[in-house]
Amino acid sequence: MNWQEVLDRSSLFLLQLTNGLTLGSIYALIAVGYTMVYGVLELINFAHGEVYMMGAFIAYHLVSVYDVPFFAAFAIALVICSAFGIFLEYFAYRPLRDARRLVALISAIGMSIFLQNLALIIWGAQQKSFPYKKLPSLFSSMAFTLGDINLSYLQVFIFLLSVVLMFVLHYIIRHTKTGMAMRAIAQDAKAASLMGINLNRVISFTFAAGSFLGAVAGVLVGVYYNAIWPTMGYMAGIKAFAAAVLGGIGSVPGAILGGTILGVAEAFGAGYISSAYRDGIAYAIMILVLIFKPAGLLGKSVVQRR
Amino acid sequence: MTRGLILLVLLLIPWIPIGDPIHYVLRLATMLMLYMVLALGLNVVTGFIGYLDLGYVGFYAIGAYTSALLSGYNDIPYLIVFFVVILHGCLWGILRGIPTLGLTGDYFAIVTFGFSELIVLIIRNEVWLTRGPMGITGIKGPSMFGYTLSRDWEFFYLILFILTLAIVIIKRMENSRIGRAMAAIRDDEVAAEACGIDARRYKMLAFALSASFGAAAGSFYAHWLGVAHPDMFHFWESILILCIIIIGGMGSVSGIILGALVLIPTTELLRAALLALSQWGTSAGITFISPDIVNARYLIFGIILVLMMRLRPDGLKR
Repeated sequence: MNWQEVLDRSSLFLLQLTNGLTLGSIYALIAVGYTMVYGVLELINFAHGEVYMMGAFIAYHLVSVYDVPFFAAFAIALVICSAFGIFLEYFAYRPLRDARRLVALISAIGMSIFLQNLALIIWGAQQKSFPYKKLPSLFSSMAFTLGDINLSYLQVFIFLLSVVLMFVLHYIIRHTKTGMAMRAIAQDAKAASLMGINLNRVISFTFAAGSFLGAVAGVLVGVYYNAIWPTMGYMAGIKAFAAAVLGGIGSVPGAILGGTILGVAEAFGAGYISSAYRDGIAYAIMILVLIFKPAGLLGKSVVQRR
Repeated sequence: MTRGLILLVLLLIPWIPIGDPIHYVLRLATMLMLYMVLALGLNVVTGFIGYLDLGYVGFYAIGAYTSALLSGYNDIPYLIVFFVVILHGCLWGILRGIPTLGLTGDYFAIVTFGFSELIVLIIRNEVWLTRGPMGITGIKGPSMFGYTLSRDWEFFYLILFILTLAIVIIKRMENSRIGRAMAAIRDDEVAAEACGIDARRYKMLAFALSASFGAAAGSFYAHWLGVAHPDMFHFWESILILCIIIIGGMGSVSGIILGALVLIPTTELLRAALLALSQWGTSAGITFISPDIVNARYLIFGIILVLMMRLRPDGLKR
């Protein structure tokens, strides 16, 4: 092996690593939404992937139709999606909170299907992309170049924004009253409400925060891959769920770790093993984790609850 | 008595003298019965033992491709093909059961979903075996006793036979020791185990049985259409089947038949109506109705699921 070969290989490696980290931070953003909702309600919010898709579409619509500047559209999409998250919980999950698990789960899937098809009616099945000229010009320029590796400002932006948001979330969960209430509900919802915690308000906040992060991920993906389509949420949602399972569902640091690992694994799997099975990697990881370590990497093993 | 009468009426359907539209009636009736078989199979897992299976379409695909590859081009008697397909479905039901046996409800739902996506991914990518996105075309009809089925009414009778068989099996099982054990698992798995029911065994049995129903239906579907293509086994199919058993009320055979009777014609009507709407929209130059609106008939399934769960979680019948 000569030097050129080593250089080529290592640059391919680094390329996959940067792609994987970008992808991973996006998965982590979505996975946190799943894991937070699971923490307080013990329910998989199947419609979470659709909130992510709607975030991307709303921002796209504002930018391309109403000519709103990108960052303003980004912010508006986040606000709308957070409000929508609250509505979602209020409409589809709250009336079923005391029903059997299966009932709430089916309602969640119903919401997800409804939203996907709503997007299909409004925006059509064709892939949409943000108009190139209306994006900040910084996004397309390269932050640095090393040999064959180009790291764009967009990738840096995605990574940094995710990290900042995760720290904010960590602060909220660990150091605010609402965060404390969330942790209390995760431990024992009934006892928490007996201690005077307003269950509905905290759950609404959880959904709003999760949807906010999901929408951030949606807009970022829409810009990064330059493609938005109505069913983008279901694949991303399942992968992010796999990430949450990998990290241990219910654990926020676990979701971040799981998302990052999954993103990197997917990039390397697509680069080195087979790009055709790229989407299968997440499922395979999820199934393996569930067989060998159902509690996930950072989750605490709990007695089977139902 | 009434059952015999219903069966007799069904047997006579292909001979109603209404001329040409009979083909449409037969196709719709065949489709309906096909979905009833599928719903009965899904019901074994979702209705009897109470686990939400979101990947049922995976077995449907396995059945269709097994059948297509076995007898699509060769003259193997259909009875043999049918048994191989059922065994193959069973095998995958058990293989999928191994990792999912210990999972609780929502994990199970996600893993089953992942399973069916993996199946479709494999079908799409392993071109040497399945011809991938090109699909398998020109599958011959099922051959029985040296005769190859090809007409509408022959397929109608075949699916009627399969459906009757399925109903008999389910009905016999429902009121047996096995059915009661499964109902106990659905109501409370821990309590059922405490009563001496081997939950793992019955769950595995339910997975295998359910999978073989799906595979049998898939086999029929492939021969009936003469085509097997990865796009036929989209996630939506799983949801449609789920809707059928939810509308009718999970767990009961008559409920499932009712659900299919309500939902399948509704989707057909919706498809026709939306197609007309989109054509009218294009011709009238209305831009906000996209041509994709035809696919939006699934929107109604979402509404059905949410509203049914809020208002009538036990189905229309009860």
